[in-house]
Amino acid sequence: MPANLWPSSTDLLRFGPEILLTLVGTLMMVLEPLLDNKRVFRTLSLVTLLGAIGVTMAAHGVPGLSYANMIIVDGFATFFRLLVLGVAILTVLLSGDYLEKEGHETGEFYALLLFSVVGQGIMACANELIMVFVGIEISSIASYILTGYLRDDKRNNEAAMKYFLLGSFATAFLLYGVAWIYGLTGSTNLNDIRTVLSSPNFTNSASLVGMSAALMFVGFAFKVSAAPFQSWAPDVYQGAPSPVSAFMSAGPKAAAFAVFIRVFLTAYGPISDTWVPLVAIAALATMTIGNFAALRQTNVKRLLAYSSIAHAGYVLVAIAAHSTVGTQAVMFYLASYVFMNVGAFAVVTFFARKGEQYVNIDDLSGLAVRQPAMAAMLTIFMLSLIGVPLTAGFFGKFYIFKAALDSNLVWLTILGLLNSAVAAYYYLRILVVMYMREPGVATNNMDEAPFALRLTVWASALATLVLGVMPGLLLDVAGRWVLALGR
Amino acid sequence: MLVSILILLVVILIFPLVAGYLVHLERKVLADFQVRLGPMRVGPYGLLQPIADALKLLLKEDIVPTVADKWLFLAAPIVTLFTALTSFAVLPFADSIVAADVNVGLLVVAGMGAVGILGIILGGWSSNSHYPLLGALRSAAQLVSYEVALSLALLAGVMAAGTLSMVEIVQAQHDRGIWFLFSNYGLMFIPFLIFVIAATAETNRAPFDLPEAESELVAGFHTEYSGFRWALYMLAEYANMFVISAVGATLFLGGWMRPFPNVTWLGPAFDYALPVLSIAGTGAASIWMAGKLQPKLPRIGLQIVGGLLILLAGPFLVPELNHYLSGFFWFFFKVGAMLYVFIWFRGTWPRFRYDQLMDIGWKRLIPLGLASLALNAVVGLL
Amino acid sequence: MPNSYSETYFPVLLQMVLATAVGFALVALGVILGYRVKNKVKDSPYECGVQPVGSAKERFSVKFYLVAMLFILFDIEAIFLYPWAVVYRDLNHGANRMFGFVEMLIFVVLVLAGFFYIWKKGVLNWQADPGPASVPPAKAPAAYSLSEK
Repeated sequence: MPANLWPSSTDLLRFGPEILLTLVGTLMMVLEPLLDNKRVFRTLSLVTLLGAIGVTMAAHGVPGLSYANMIIVDGFATFFRLLVLGVAILTVLLSGDYLEKEGHETGEFYALLLFSVVGQGIMACANELIMVFVGIEISSIASYILTGYLRDDKRNNEAAMKYFLLGSFATAFLLYGVAWIYGLTGSTNLNDIRTVLSSPNFTNSASLVGMSAALMFVGFAFKVSAAPFQSWAPDVYQGAPSPVSAFMSAGPKAAAFAVFIRVFLTAYGPISDTWVPLVAIAALATMTIGNFAALRQTNVKRLLAYSSIAHAGYVLVAIAAHSTVGTQAVMFYLASYVFMNVGAFAVVTFFARKGEQYVNIDDLSGLAVRQPAMAAMLTIFMLSLIGVPLTAGFFGKFYIFKAALDSNLVWLTILGLLNSAVAAYYYLRILVVMYMREPGVATNNMDEAPFALRLTVWASALATLVLGVMPGLLLDVAGRWVLALGR
Repeated sequence: MLVSILILLVVILIFPLVAGYLVHLERKVLADFQVRLGPMRVGPYGLLQPIADALKLLLKEDIVPTVADKWLFLAAPIVTLFTALTSFAVLPFADSIVAADVNVGLLVVAGMGAVGILGIILGGWSSNSHYPLLGALRSAAQLVSYEVALSLALLAGVMAAGTLSMVEIVQAQHDRGIWFLFSNYGLMFIPFLIFVIAATAETNRAPFDLPEAESELVAGFHTEYSGFRWALYMLAEYANMFVISAVGATLFLGGWMRPFPNVTWLGPAFDYALPVLSIAGTGAASIWMAGKLQPKLPRIGLQIVGGLLILLAGPFLVPELNHYLSGFFWFFFKVGAMLYVFIWFRGTWPRFRYDQLMDIGWKRLIPLGLASLALNAVVGLL
Repeated sequence: MPNSYSETYFPVLLQMVLATAVGFALVALGVILGYRVKNKVKDSPYECGVQPVGSAKERFSVKFYLVAMLFILFDIEAIFLYPWAVVYRDLNHGANRMFGFVEMLIFVVLVLAGFFYIWKKGVLNWQADPGPASVPPAKAPAAYSLSEK
């Protein structure tokens, strides 16, 4: 028995954001049956998330390993913690009015959101495969429930069921991979696995290690909706409540990429020759499937889902680069992607109205006439998703393909650029419908957007533009906080 | 290993008889509560009634409903019996008289109890009839509800003992010189009380015998069972009663130890005088009672039984054997006391309503169990 | 004294086999000795004397599912506490004084919060549900009168 089991105050601080969110989330569940005024929970969760940002920054002041090396606080962890907290804040702003309109505003929604963020925070700072698994489970289980949140809605039910069944299946793969690598190396700690794998005394066959990496790749690929494990994403994003789709396409995805990078760069770094081609092929498949399937979509949410798959492909390109520049590009790209995607889903939330009646592209016709501001915002997001200069998306793609070129992945870069050109078609189609068509049934009689929603959209648009004009702001931070383990 | 196999064989062979006489005891005690005589016809004072019942059950028609799932219908009572009997393997009957001294004995018992629920659900479902299904569902809901409270109560004992091995639990009480029931300044009475209530519910005994509520569900999950298949369920029920009483005796009442195990001068009284007096006394009473009987055959039979009992008291006086025999005596004495309490419950209290039953399980016992666990945890440190 | 793991557990396995065998043997004995007459009515499911209607494998109250799920949650909680209870005394020495207690308290309080939640949400209520308020009470059938012929 160790002499002292008590966690030190540094330990508590390093794990502080998650502790805070868990406590408040639990408190919300206790308060839920007691309070009739559900608006309290909006404020409470916003305050908590802001507090968690403060604690994250405070924890960043004392970087290092904690809790028997199970969690690590470094720049990389802080970056993704801040990212998921930011997504959660935008989601809370977006959800309040949506839920009120649907008559389902309850404390559980916000509690689940906080729990999901707890899981993502753990994913961001996990330095141990068991912690990785725990984080993914916490994050996923909360998102499964959020997906089916409007439980009287059939689309919600279907989406939640699909997500749950496929998701638990994928996590099983991940766990199997963890078991396998534990059997091979005798450790679940990422640094220890790295040490064992790179030591010349390691005699186990490379194919066995590769197998464990492949199994874990299946698990992560599902979470980031990379091909060939992407098929759940369109159904789930389409069926889920729009604010939840916004959340899922940003927060859990960013956290999954964070843990993907940390595990593959740290633990599997010594055997990068085995998995880099795999990731490169997956990247190509993901981009292509996402973009070509998006061409034929008529439903905006579904279109954004396929676009989100395609973007996961771009990020995988940077991971396949397996370099510090690549990781830095991933960080920049995910941060900018979060803003443009949440912003786009926010406009969809506003536009779909009660019961999500208007979610087809044709319904958007003439939006520019009735709601010029909203149309302009959506234009910014779409242009950024295409990667037009002066938007965040441009620099995101630029850094990614630059990293790929630096790593001599020329073929992937070319195919990736071709893909971006294809993508431009379906994003521009939305703009055409908005600006070139007469207002239809759906665009007439629109109410003014609620303040919180407008705030979300404006903030996202502003961030997209600022990052597009001055990418150095974020790139410097990413450069300082990057996980310097690549080539 | 040989000793283990011997113990198991004895358990398997004797248990049906013991269960039969437990039923008999229950009928007699209930009759006493209700100021009547109970079974009196078969044998002297009805003492051969269980054997007659067993023969009757063997000769009864074995009915399998045409719509039933044949194999599950057969498997269900066997599952229940097998889980109940397997627990016996880890029960310490006396010092070093235990078939398998596994390091997680209590978990084996708890696990077997949980699997036993399957036998009930399978039986109710495979009958393909309305009453058994409803009975099985109620039964399963009841069992799982009280399982949690039972675990929480056991936890308090485990915490005091610091081990899950049944033998070491008794040893811990020996080392500390106190039964866990009385430790922690009497606070362990709360988990013990929870244990007794939950155990009553776990064994489907009155006042928690809703799964078999005759007035609502005919006979609950075993409505469609007849003959020896039905008897297996009964055997399992009494085996479960015995096991759960044995767990209670081991964890809270010091297992095979006599009261005040560390007070040496009480040894002669509790290890020698009391067992000898009670067993020989029972024998003497039998002979005296036999004298009142008119027919010749039962009279002589009972006199022989009485004589055998007096002879049985003899080995207790041999110091080499006394250590084990007094262990047996005290273990069965404690188990018997708990069994008597269960029968007493049945004779005293009316049945609960279903919502009351679930309320007691979830809204009373579980919070109380958690509270008593925390209380005992902090007091145990003092 | 048995020393290996498998040797310790062998009697438990043996008892399982023996108990199953005894169960089968007793049922077989009952089948062999018992007197048997096939009868269509006797072999139909018991329904208190009326014709059985439909299959018994129908839908039943969702409450039972809820109880089953809650059981899994709370039983796992109890199972988590077992290892803790075993090492409890060792967790409270020297600098670790009260550590075991505080750890358990945090865990139990978190679980209790969930317990409080399900309690207040009415999952544990088994009284007859009055049903949604919007559904009007069923009308009693009109009294039978001769004039309606």
